[in-house]
Amino acid sequence: MIKRPDYPPADTQIVMRSVLIALIPGIIAMTLFFGIGVLLNLATAIPAALAAEAVCLGLRRRSISPRLNDLSAVLTGALIALSLPQAAPWWLIILASTSSIVLGKHLYGGLGQNPVNPAMLGYALMLISAPITMTTLWVDPLVTPDLATAWLAYLGQSNDAVTGATMLDLYRTEFRVLTAAEASQNPLFTQAHLGLIYGYEWVALAYLVGGLWLIYQRVITWHTPVGLLVTLAVVCAFFNFDPDTATPVWIHLTAGAGIFAAFFILTDPVSGATSPKGRLWFAIGVGILTYLIRTYGLYPDAIAFAVLLMNFAVPMIDHYTRPRIMGRSSSIRGSGGQS
Amino acid sequence: MADYQIRRCERQLEGGIYPETHKALSTTDSCVFVDDPKRLVFPIHFSGGGPGEALVAVGDTVFQGTPIIKCQSGITHVASRSGKVIEITDHAITHPSATKSASIIIEPNGLKDQDYLDPLVWPFDADTLRNRAIEAGILGLGGAGFPSFKKWSDGTQTLIINGAECEPYLTADDTLMRVDTHSMIRGACMLSQSLDIKTIIIGIEDNKPEALEAIESALKESRSDCFFDIVLLDTKYPSGSERHLVWLTLGIEVPTGSRAIESGVIVHNPGTLAALSRAIDGKPITDRIVTLTGEALTAPQNVIVPIGTPISHLIEAADTNPDSLASIAIGGPMMGYPVTDFTAGITKTTNCLLAREIEVPPESPCIRCGACATVCPVRLQPQQMVFALKGGSLDRAVHEGLIDCIECAACNAVCPSHIPLAEWFRLGRFEARDKANDQHLAAEARERFEARNLRLERIALEKEAKRAARQAKTADALEKARKARKESA
Repeated sequence: MIKRPDYPPADTQIVMRSVLIALIPGIIAMTLFFGIGVLLNLATAIPAALAAEAVCLGLRRRSISPRLNDLSAVLTGALIALSLPQAAPWWLIILASTSSIVLGKHLYGGLGQNPVNPAMLGYALMLISAPITMTTLWVDPLVTPDLATAWLAYLGQSNDAVTGATMLDLYRTEFRVLTAAEASQNPLFTQAHLGLIYGYEWVALAYLVGGLWLIYQRVITWHTPVGLLVTLAVVCAFFNFDPDTATPVWIHLTAGAGIFAAFFILTDPVSGATSPKGRLWFAIGVGILTYLIRTYGLYPDAIAFAVLLMNFAVPMIDHYTRPRIMGRSSSIRGSGGQS
Repeated sequence: MADYQIRRCERQLEGGIYPETHKALSTTDSCVFVDDPKRLVFPIHFSGGGPGEALVAVGDTVFQGTPIIKCQSGITHVASRSGKVIEITDHAITHPSATKSASIIIEPNGLKDQDYLDPLVWPFDADTLRNRAIEAGILGLGGAGFPSFKKWSDGTQTLIINGAECEPYLTADDTLMRVDTHSMIRGACMLSQSLDIKTIIIGIEDNKPEALEAIESALKESRSDCFFDIVLLDTKYPSGSERHLVWLTLGIEVPTGSRAIESGVIVHNPGTLAALSRAIDGKPITDRIVTLTGEALTAPQNVIVPIGTPISHLIEAADTNPDSLASIAIGGPMMGYPVTDFTAGITKTTNCLLAREIEVPPESPCIRCGACATVCPVRLQPQQMVFALKGGSLDRAVHEGLIDCIECAACNAVCPSHIPLAEWFRLGRFEARDKANDQHLAAEARERFEARNLRLERIALEKEAKRAARQAKTADALEKARKARKESA
């Protein structure tokens, strides 16, 4: 076992690299259950992000190599690739990736200046601009596509046989009219995947492993993931009056982007709250909004919108969650006049 | 034998870092005088104790101990060797601003002529001791250079000897505690007795077993009535910061904007107390222990150095050619500042010369990771303060707590973007103090102006009243005269 470091990594590049390494278990699990399309997404989004980064830096007359080397663009590309449907066509991936970098990051001044999470901005933009593509091209984990099918989907000729609604979507649509017992007869539940009931759980578990490693390495703190997952679980459990209509807590936590977002999306330090207490509140806010949008909103998954909304609340959170400075009787609150 | 106990500190420093200490580099069992340099430099305004004035003129002969500078605070600085004042001119000084300032240059003549004070004989009162500290030029030798006598309030309960020496590379205090233990203990006892302090705490990091042993044996020989409470601290930076040491040893949080003394605690560096002990015997501060260290020096060591010795002389004393170094850090890797002009002389607050080559990685933008906040020992959020300062908003940085920063630079050590946070804060704090001072002056001026307006108004009103009274009187008199005339008519 590697000794737990005393401090977070000593260089921005190592921070980004650690997050990328922590994504690997999740990438492997996703590739196993959702096919080679996951890797195609990554292989497209990352170069697109790097190219967009380089062009933007060039246009802004900034030195290019130090910023490309810090791996932040690679990470943004990877995160957006893993957020997109696995049977997404190439143009969607490129659009999502480049708009993340250009609109989400460089428009505000590049690394460290983005007010919102770049990957989620790109994702939300695609969800609004291409809703059909973004909601129907999710691979059904029961029929993992082969290389040829994945390649055709990548070129834009998706195959209805391998795609379908996500689990969260099913609960909003088909399962709505079924009782809990009837819903549990769905093949997604009856056909076990390596002992667990459906593929999503393995993916969530893999991301959890990577995320815990990040906490161990002090790249992230426990506040964000605990804040999101506990809030989501508590809110879902509280409103779970009627098991026949409500989406189960377990599904809320594992089927969507829950675990992935808790460890890899909400933990973006730039657009998130900055104090440990602030991170907790930020994550709690995302948790509540996620539940509300998933339950009452138009979209089956809601992390992206919840994150973006909470990003805008970050300055306020930061103003009210400062730690108490040694030697002062209470913590400083508020923005301090002009800002 | 003095009553004492040794205990491990039960509190944990919040934040802080475990830097590599590099203390073995300069640690030696003995500590010798360096050869006298060819010239000694004494900055008139920057020797510690505030701006001063020269008490000598060019051509004067001075002895070791002759007062040469008197500061606003009263502190007197003396010539550290006998010799002749050859020049009073603008000269390079050891100061973070790296500017030149009026300095007295003395050429030592190698004689042992001394001009000391009369020894004080116990019992003496606190005021006598304060005067002695002023005459002998006693100020904080740990680095801050605060005039010691100002800390000696009546009614103080505790004296803390700050033997933590948490700054990496530094071994000057460690060396002093080992070779000059008796003086330190005696100074502490004298001070405590004259101020009626019952408890003396010695805060010492657990990486100094030899110093601890020396203190123990010195205490066994001491006949003091004081109780010595030796507190072993974890070797964690910055446990030697005054406020943190007070908290670690006593559990008292010194409130923002006030000094430890206002919480009834005096904190002194071991060297200051040893110097006080000698001052009681009549000897003002003429020398101090300086750590010469760093990988770029051939012979790192601790030496006893006359105040005013040029840096280049000390680099040579460490068997190194001064020309081979581009700059040297005064005061250690964390809180030190660079000096490039090696003709500058060391002052009473110069505890270390650090020569090493460091590669500073290029700075990249802040990603708000908050690593700095996790190590900040006063629980500031450096990421927020530097954001405000870089944006030019000093007020916002102050709102975030800039004045509470102790400039320990722990944030610098962990920043993954290699932002020189502490330098920003040092500059920002300086500007904030400047601004506060300006505001204070402006407020005073406004008060004066308003008082003047009120006074003028009052005078005008009084005049008006007098005039009205006079008019009334005249009118009265006229009326009376008229009446009289009418009656007579």
